[in-house]
Amino acid sequence: MAEKPLFHVFPSKCTACKNCEFACSFSHGSATGPTLTRIATMHDPDGREGKNRVVLCMQCDTAACVAGCPSNALWRNPETGAIYHVEDRCIRCRSCVAACPFGNMRWEAKVNFPVKCDLCNGDPVCAKFCPTRAIEYR
Amino acid sequence: MSEFNIDGRRISARKGEYILAAARREGIEIPALCHHEAVEPFGACRLCVVEVSKPSWDGWFKVVTACLFPVEDGLIVRTNSERIRKLRKEVLELLLARSPRAEAVAELAREYGVFEPRHDADWEGDNCILCGICTRICQTHVTGAISTVDRGVAKRVDTPFSESSADCIGCLACARACPTDAIPFTEEGSERSIWNKDFSLEPCTECGAGTLSREHAEWLTEKTNLPTEDLYICDRCKVLRTAASYAKIAW
Repeated sequence: MAEKPLFHVFPSKCTACKNCEFACSFSHGSATGPTLTRIATMHDPDGREGKNRVVLCMQCDTAACVAGCPSNALWRNPETGAIYHVEDRCIRCRSCVAACPFGNMRWEAKVNFPVKCDLCNGDPVCAKFCPTRAIEYR
Repeated sequence: MSEFNIDGRRISARKGEYILAAARREGIEIPALCHHEAVEPFGACRLCVVEVSKPSWDGWFKVVTACLFPVEDGLIVRTNSERIRKLRKEVLELLLARSPRAEAVAELAREYGVFEPRHDADWEGDNCILCGICTRICQTHVTGAISTVDRGVAKRVDTPFSESSADCIGCLACARACPTDAIPFTEEGSERSIWNKDFSLEPCTECGAGTLSREHAEWLTEKTNLPTEDLYICDRCKVLRTAASYAKIAW
């Protein structure tokens, strides 16, 4: 089997412009603002150059979110390797959000739902919309 | 695989798959209020009734609930016939009589031409339609703190003896899954109250925002072996913590 593509993140190139957050949120159904984003970027708090951070889901092999989900609403897609959040099966107990140690299971209070990176079915928009190519998926 | 006919369309489904699941996958709308993907079908609301027949039945159709009827080869299903619409209308009149304030019921009822409950408009009724989604979710996936109690007209969803249950972990899964918003709960700041039990959400160790109840965290620890204290950090602060740990790496 061919090796799956991976996210390559280059903090030195990231300007924390938040294009990726808007693109992600928009492609996941939010018309305005980064409400539904699955990716987080932030400036370095000390203002250092080339130290901006990008936090996105690592689709862990032994994932805490999957272990925490009581209703099997989190499934790995064997093709892309992404863990999907199946909304219909979700009982909205918020266990996955508490379980993920990295904060990549985000609870969206406006819709009372967890939101999670699904790798956009193997073609992540965050990488496509990054103007400085700080995020690449290859 | 089984091939069957639904509203004149040929559909193939897994052997033993239920009509409702197969129909929804094909985009055929069958109304249902007691259906939740996270739990087994239950057949409580009776709204997913459809007519089924087989070639050997000489054109006779019988009425079944789509959520509980497995498909088989050659089955003929009608989801929206005159007879079915009439039956659904009747079911909706009964549901609306019980729960005149339940928006999900009223909306469906309007679709089937029922605009007013049959009795006194002042009567508040009971928003709970006894669909059992909450009890099934709690029993299969969480701790089984609630169930239906009593029978007949007194049947209701409750904790044992209506007392505050030792099993309830205050996850609110029941209230959030309820199709008619019939489960009352209060949430003010980090104080949460449901099923006669008060929970205080543990404050995030970084920012102090409410995270989850101690009972919920203990239950989750038992299930996943994650350290309990790690669960008391909110998702936002965890992102910041992850970002901070990235910054330590020499790029």
